[in-house]
Amino acid sequence: MAGERHSSSCYLDERTFRHCCQVFLQHSVTIQDGWSWEEIKGADEGFMRKTVLIPVRSDTSHHHDVCSVQTENTESLTEELQADVEDEAAGVQAVCESPVVLRYEYHVVYSSSYQIPVLYFRVSTLDGRSVSLEEVWSNVHPNYRQRLRQEPWDTLTQQEHPLLGQPFFMLHPCRTEEFMKPALDLAQSQHKRLNYIVTWLSVVGPVVGLDVPLSYITAVSAPD
Amino acid sequence: MSDIAESPTENQKDEPSIQHNVTEHAGSPDEKKKIDILLKAVGDAPIMKTKKWAVERGRTVQSLAQFISRFLKLEPSEQLFIYVNQSFSPSPDQEVGVLFECFGSDGKLVLHYCKSQAWG
Repeated sequence: MAGERHSSSCYLDERTFRHCCQVFLQHSVTIQDGWSWEEIKGADEGFMRKTVLIPVRSDTSHHHDVCSVQTENTESLTEELQADVEDEAAGVQAVCESPVVLRYEYHVVYSSSYQIPVLYFRVSTLDGRSVSLEEVWSNVHPNYRQRLRQEPWDTLTQQEHPLLGQPFFMLHPCRTEEFMKPALDLAQSQHKRLNYIVTWLSVVGPVVGLDVPLSYITAVSAPD
Repeated sequence: MSDIAESPTENQKDEPSIQHNVTEHAGSPDEKKKIDILLKAVGDAPIMKTKKWAVERGRTVQSLAQFISRFLKLEPSEQLFIYVNQSFSPSPDQEVGVLFECFGSDGKLVLHYCKSQAWG
C-alpha cells in the first residue's frame, strides 16, 4: 500500500495525490466546504480549488487603503482615515470605502519536481483589484508571520501557476518534509494511515487564512 | 459551595488559610473549565519534563504552542508543530476545549508535538 511504502518518506506520487484529493473532496461536498476539482483540458492534470472571503486582520493598520472598523483601533488608523472616523459618533463604525474583506482563491496543486502538494493562492478585493505581496503578508496569521519573514528563503512568493500560467502567490514547500515526516512516522507507529492532503493542508492552510474544519480528521480516510 | 465562597471575602485579611481552602473546595467548577492535556514528543523533539497539564478550555492552540516553545526554550526561529489525533494540525485559533470534546479520551486530550530545524 502506498502509505506503507512511503512510511519514512514525505513524498507523494501523483496518483496518491489525486486519490487523497478525491476522498477530501467527498467530505467537502458533505459539509459544503466549497472545494472543487479542476481538470486541465487535454492534460491528465488537475488541482483542488476553493474561494473564500476573508476579513482583513484588524492589526493591519499601516496600509492606507485598509480600514479597520473596530473603534478600539482608532488610534492606529492613518491620518487620511482619521478624519472619517472623527466624523462618526463614538461607538458607530466608520463608513469605509477601503476593503475589509478580501477574496482568496486557493489551489492545491501537485508539484512533480518536489513530489509533494503545493499551496497556491491569489487575492483580490471584491471589486477586482489584485492585492500586493505586502498586503498578503500583513494578513498572514501572527502566529507565523514574524518567524516566516525571518526565513532565508522567500516563503511567500509570486509565481506562475504551473497549470494555468497566471501569477499566483505560493507558499514555499521546502518545510513540508519537516512537518509531514513526523506525522507520517507517528501514524505508522500507531498502525494508522493518514490522508496526506488533510494533514498537509491542516498545517499550511492556517498560515494563509485557510481553515480546515476538524471534521476532516475523522471523516476523511487515507485512500485505498 | 457559594456560601463558603462568600465568607472569606470578609475575612480575607485575617484568615488567608480559609481562602486557600475555599480555592480547593471551589476546584469543582474550575475543573470543568480546565481540561487535561498530555503532551507527547514526536521524532527528535525534546521531551517535556512535565507532560500532563490542566489547561483552560478557552485557551487557543497558539497560546499553548507559545507556552510549550518557552518551556522547551526553543529558538525564536524554530517552529513548533502540534498534532491532534496523530494526524492533523489544529488551527492556531482553535480552542483546546473544542479539541478535547472531539478527540479527548480517558479524560484527556493527547497532543503530539515536534519542532522544525532552526535555519542557519
